[in-house]
Amino acid sequence: MTLFKQIAFMLSIFLLIFLATVLTLNFKSANNSVQERLYEDAKNSATSLSLSLGSANGDISIMTTMINANFDSGNYRRIVLKDVDEALIYDRELQRDTIDVPSWFLELVNIEAPVASANVSSGWNQVGILSVQSDDSYAYKQLYTILIDLLISSSIIFIIGLIVLNLLLVAILKPLKGVQKQAEAIIRNEFIIQQSIPSTVEFKDVVLGMNNMVSKVKAMLAKASQELKYQKELEYIDKVTGLKNRKYLIDKLPEYLKVDAASKGGINMMISISGMIEANEQIGHKEVDKLLLSMANIFDAHATNYENSIVSRMNGTEFSILLPDCLEKDGLILAKNIYNSCQKITKGFELDASLTYISLGLYEYNYKDSIGELLSQSDNALTQAKFSDIKIYLAKAQTTVDVMGKDAWRELIKDAVKDKHISFAPYKVVDAKRKKIVHNILSINLKIDKETIYYYGQFMAPANQAGLSSKIYDNVLDMMFKTPDISLKNLVCSLRLPYDYLVEEGTFDKMHKLFFTHAKALPFRLIVEVPDKFMHQNSIIVKNYKALFDKYNIDMGVFEFIGESVDYQYLQEFRPVYIKAQGDFFLTQSNQALVALRLITDTMGISLIASGVMQMDMLKRLLDKDINIVQGKVSEMIKLL
Amino acid sequence: MSKFKIFFFISLLFVHFSLLWAEPYVDATLLEKITKKYNFFAKKRFLYLQKSLDAVKNKSDIKKLEKVNSFFNKVKYSPDMKIYGKPDYWATPWEFLGRDRGDCEDYVISKYFALLYLKVDAKKLFFTYVRSSKFKEAHMVLTYFETPRSEPLVLDNNNFKVLKASQRKDLTPIYHFNGESLYRVETGKEIKNQKSHKKFDELKLKMKRKKI
Repeated sequence: MTLFKQIAFMLSIFLLIFLATVLTLNFKSANNSVQERLYEDAKNSATSLSLSLGSANGDISIMTTMINANFDSGNYRRIVLKDVDEALIYDRELQRDTIDVPSWFLELVNIEAPVASANVSSGWNQVGILSVQSDDSYAYKQLYTILIDLLISSSIIFIIGLIVLNLLLVAILKPLKGVQKQAEAIIRNEFIIQQSIPSTVEFKDVVLGMNNMVSKVKAMLAKASQELKYQKELEYIDKVTGLKNRKYLIDKLPEYLKVDAASKGGINMMISISGMIEANEQIGHKEVDKLLLSMANIFDAHATNYENSIVSRMNGTEFSILLPDCLEKDGLILAKNIYNSCQKITKGFELDASLTYISLGLYEYNYKDSIGELLSQSDNALTQAKFSDIKIYLAKAQTTVDVMGKDAWRELIKDAVKDKHISFAPYKVVDAKRKKIVHNILSINLKIDKETIYYYGQFMAPANQAGLSSKIYDNVLDMMFKTPDISLKNLVCSLRLPYDYLVEEGTFDKMHKLFFTHAKALPFRLIVEVPDKFMHQNSIIVKNYKALFDKYNIDMGVFEFIGESVDYQYLQEFRPVYIKAQGDFFLTQSNQALVALRLITDTMGISLIASGVMQMDMLKRLLDKDINIVQGKVSEMIKLL
Repeated sequence: MSKFKIFFFISLLFVHFSLLWAEPYVDATLLEKITKKYNFFAKKRFLYLQKSLDAVKNKSDIKKLEKVNSFFNKVKYSPDMKIYGKPDYWATPWEFLGRDRGDCEDYVISKYFALLYLKVDAKKLFFTYVRSSKFKEAHMVLTYFETPRSEPLVLDNNNFKVLKASQRKDLTPIYHFNGESLYRVETGKEIKNQKSHKKFDELKLKMKRKKI
């Protein structure tokens, strides 16, 4: 029970007791005053009647007539006349009718109408004592009316009191709400500073204390973020040219070499600068560095036309330009332009172009290549280029013959989408230390019939090429929310959504509608995985998605993380439940970079997950680096508890 | 000396001292207050009253009536309006004798409480509203009934003698009232702290509060 409820309950009880006491006292007072009134009336009647009886000179018949006349005309319960020896002269009592009040009230309230007495005398002689008792039925009615009025007024006061109490409590405990919100935010690993400092001393101290703590955590996170950024620069940036380095390219390549990659392939251009030793001797290190920088700028300038291109310095004299979606013809033109531009620059530095020149090996890669294949084929092309006269050589990837042609795939996928042949295949993500499943990745299959199933890796590339991937994801989400798989009940499941689908116009609205109508009925906890590239944009669309997911209790995870960001504030802002990166990424990180990353993620409660872990040896090395959650082939090998 | 004689002597001593230590009509504290409020002469009057009451303590009711009547009738008559600025004020015995003046009700009240002090049965004493043909006005006297059916004796501030009612042709009785003799109709038990008569109840309250 919240403090507000406890105080409200206590004060309500107090108010109730107070009102009940006031009501009881009021009613008792009313009862007493009614009885007082009854006595006063009886006393007045007794006195005036006794005076009248005095004129009867002791004649009993006249006295009884007088008593009868009085009794019949007034509201009396009983009139008794006794002589001086206490002997009864006359007694007249009312035969009570039914009193017009509920029986419970008659049982609850006992009105005893007081008896008033007066001496009756005749001349100097005493006649006796006259006793008069008023009729109490009117008193009962009056008291019942008073009780009902008191109950109504007390109820109204109680209700008004509760409203006022509520308003007062809300006003008094308003700062506490702020404290509570801040505390809840801290529990959720959100670090907010409370701006309005309450005036209540105790609350003020708490708020200032929490603000102080939050400020320190924020400062610590900022420091960690700065450190990580610095480490990433050290790790990924070449100091001389400002270009990315070989490590960056290797960490980044998995994003390009996958079945659902945005690009199906392109050209990877390897450039080697020959005659650097001679150049160093001729113009000195500093000038050579300038030359390298100028060349790097040329590479960069030529690559900008290609979205998602990567220009990196592989070693002292070799560079790589990855050009997604670049055609063979365009690649060759680009290579020639780069060659010519570099020649001019070499001349500009008054170097001998026959000694200092560049060679460009172009390799036409596709998404099916492994990183190793891409790099070795690119190296081969470069070797060929060095031996060619024009210093440019293009090597083509071996074209693998598809099982089905493009048109056949297009038809198959179209039919599968139309007939809703999409199904989920869960894959385990395991905490190798605790030997427990952390969540299940929902992979998508096309189940054409009982015997024919196409896996994600088989159909996604043709689907991309056919422009049907968004349709597939629309169907996947529809199926997940409208006809949820009961076998997944109470599990934690993740669904990976690609960058292109997330940024596509209409996706957000579709999801919003879907969540609004079906999210509550989802039988499992869902984590939507978004690529780091999408997340670290930190744009309005990301914020909207985050708000949407939060609203419907859907978590957010990040995949393809390599930590390339100008700052890591986005991790604090969006607080994904986990970050997934290739196992190799974690293994090749410097200790400083990993410590800085861990400081951020541990503070924010973000788990680190290594993906693509295929061998136990890699798992062992990951565990040594305290990366315990893994996915890949090894997750099937770990014995679960 | 025999044991019986010693016992008799001790008993006599006890009776003597118990009489000596009997509660006075006005206690010392109250008497001090009366002296402070009125004067030394007021104290004297109360001491004289005590002496007069002590003198008839063990006498018959008639002797007590006569002593009380003659003692209080020495107080000067004065209307309430003149003393208290009110048309009808029932004074306590201490106010009455303290001021040494009062009207007919005040005489009746003082005589009544003095007689009660002398252990006269309260049921025998009545406040009687009468009409005085002599003064042609409403008047009040204290009446004493030996038995409920006997002829009452009248204690009047206009007459030093206690006379039988039949001898008081100048008085026409209107209403007898006795505040102490009210009974509950159903049970016959006396009602404690019950109201009996407005003026009498007010007076009793003033007496309780020792109004001087």
